[in-house]
Amino acid sequence: MRLVTAPLLAVTVGLVLADSAIVTLALPEILHHLDASVGQVAWVLIAYNLVLGLGAVPAALAFRRADPRIFTAVGIAMFAGASAWCAFADSIEVLIVARCVQAVGGALALVGCLEQLVAERGERRGVGWWVTAGVIGTAVGPVAGGLLTQAISWQAIFVVQVPFAALAVPAALAVRAVPQQGPDRHRPAIRANLTLALLSAALTAALFLLVLLLVEGWGRSPATAALTVSVVPVAAIAARPLARLFRPPPEVEIAVGCFLVAGGLVGLAIPPSSNLLWSVAPQALVGLGLGLTVDQLTSRAMDLRLPRSEHAAWTIGARHVGVVLGLAVLTPVFTADLQDAQEPAQEAITSLVLDSPLMPQDKVSVAEALGGALVDQQGQVPELAPAFDRIDVAAGEQPALDQLERDLDDQLERAATRAFRDSFLIGAGLALAALLTLVPLGRRRSS
Amino acid sequence: MNATARWAGLPVLALVLVALVVGVQLGNGGGSYEPLKPADPCAEREVTSRAEGIEGLTEQLVLIGIDEAACTLQVSREELTLELARPGERNDAQVDALRDGLKTAVTRMKDDGTLPPASALVDEALESSDLNGFLKTAIRALPDGVIDAALKTDDVLTRAIDKLDLRDLLENLTSQADLEQQIGAAVEEAVKDSLRDRLRNLI
Repeated sequence: MRLVTAPLLAVTVGLVLADSAIVTLALPEILHHLDASVGQVAWVLIAYNLVLGLGAVPAALAFRRADPRIFTAVGIAMFAGASAWCAFADSIEVLIVARCVQAVGGALALVGCLEQLVAERGERRGVGWWVTAGVIGTAVGPVAGGLLTQAISWQAIFVVQVPFAALAVPAALAVRAVPQQGPDRHRPAIRANLTLALLSAALTAALFLLVLLLVEGWGRSPATAALTVSVVPVAAIAARPLARLFRPPPEVEIAVGCFLVAGGLVGLAIPPSSNLLWSVAPQALVGLGLGLTVDQLTSRAMDLRLPRSEHAAWTIGARHVGVVLGLAVLTPVFTADLQDAQEPAQEAITSLVLDSPLMPQDKVSVAEALGGALVDQQGQVPELAPAFDRIDVAAGEQPALDQLERDLDDQLERAATRAFRDSFLIGAGLALAALLTLVPLGRRRSS
Repeated sequence: MNATARWAGLPVLALVLVALVVGVQLGNGGGSYEPLKPADPCAEREVTSRAEGIEGLTEQLVLIGIDEAACTLQVSREELTLELARPGERNDAQVDALRDGLKTAVTRMKDDGTLPPASALVDEALESSDLNGFLKTAIRALPDGVIDAALKTDDVLTRAIDKLDLRDLLENLTSQADLEQQIGAAVEEAVKDSLRDRLRNLI
């Protein structure tokens, strides 16, 4: 049992943090399946991050007064149970409540798992496992969620978590000794946590907006989107060897990471086309930035600060409040921009239909078919294929009609890309703001 | 690795990577991947049609007419088209601009020689008209020169545009049969008026 205890606890940490963004790619399917509005479905994401962000520190305070093994086991069991509840939710309200319970369990589990990992692997390695599991979970979450949604269903995202978490319950109970908690001697590392919060808000732009652009804007399948955004975790893993190559001071590493995230987001804001390859290099920058910053900042915020679990909880709070901040800032911007994009998109479509090399009657048929697809989009990118499927033209006209459909799809992709631009740039601004929080820190040290 | 390389190595690499990625994106048109912008309706646009005869002529007239109307109303051609396609009442400015635009289209096509002579449209017009068979045969027997001397396409079209109840027509764009019926009636009236005036001038 001892051999698998630490890996199971680390997997639990990864799952809890992956859940922050794991449903991102499933949101369109949840929206349709539970007949929810866009605003409601956003709360599936927001509720989890908000409760986890606000619940982490109280969970750490409660941990001091509880039996660590029972505390951790209860947290993991609550997380597993709520995951199962999420899978069987038959309304959006139930799903949001289940996500809140899942986050409460997740907060307890994260705090408990940290101490259990330290008990199992020692101070340095235990914290290292906890931090690394969190970074991997955060980066892999959207990819795993997208693949599961495409392969099975959105419910599968929650179902697959249950056995892993359920196995971790006996693992938590099997941990023999938990180190004695020291008295509360250190104040939270405000600057490191602030940087972490701003950077998490910026990373939300990268992970959340990019998958939305891929699925909703460019009409790619969740699996394609998942494979595309897998560049981020791969690059995040590559960041460590890169840092080891130069061995810069931690401040430099964090500053460079923030700059890379900002640069990657600028790159994502200005793709030359909807070809997925154009998103690879910007994503690699974001992934490198994530790999250089999140574990460094987390370690910095926790570095020799006691009690360890409380300072770890502050980092969880900072990260997830940052995610909520990112969603709160970016969601209204990109939904308004998507709404504003309708007019230029409709005008571009009108222009192409008027000038298309079709017979006049066929142009009228296209206009009538498209009319229904373009009205009442409520800020969503319309799907033109069903409208074109209904148009009946002579065989000789079909190539021109097919070309028109491709051209119109291109216009919609252009409009969606333009609509996401400002949000990506705001994300880049948040990453630069995270970079700015490091400046006074450098001055103080040098004086 | 010395201290300078430790401090500067990673930042320099990051700067190069970001500059490279953003530069390549911009260099390939990254900043301008946006929806097609509507063209200036006041700039003359070459208008063609795949259709022939009356259908092709109508399409060209409408495309030029909408451009001219949009120019008068100081909106884009696409904005005006979308506005006219929506259900609802049309205002006087829109109706007047469209009528003037269609008439300008006739003049433009006449000036650049793309307006077909009346004889080229007669057969097609007779097919859809409700004249009796004897009269249709008689008209078809007339030499082209006689038809073209009696009927000037631009004159007939201008009269037809004047006769069209554009407000009513724009409010019922969804009914193809109504549309054809209204246009057919206006053209028929215009032909009669044109012939009547011609005879009056001859006498």
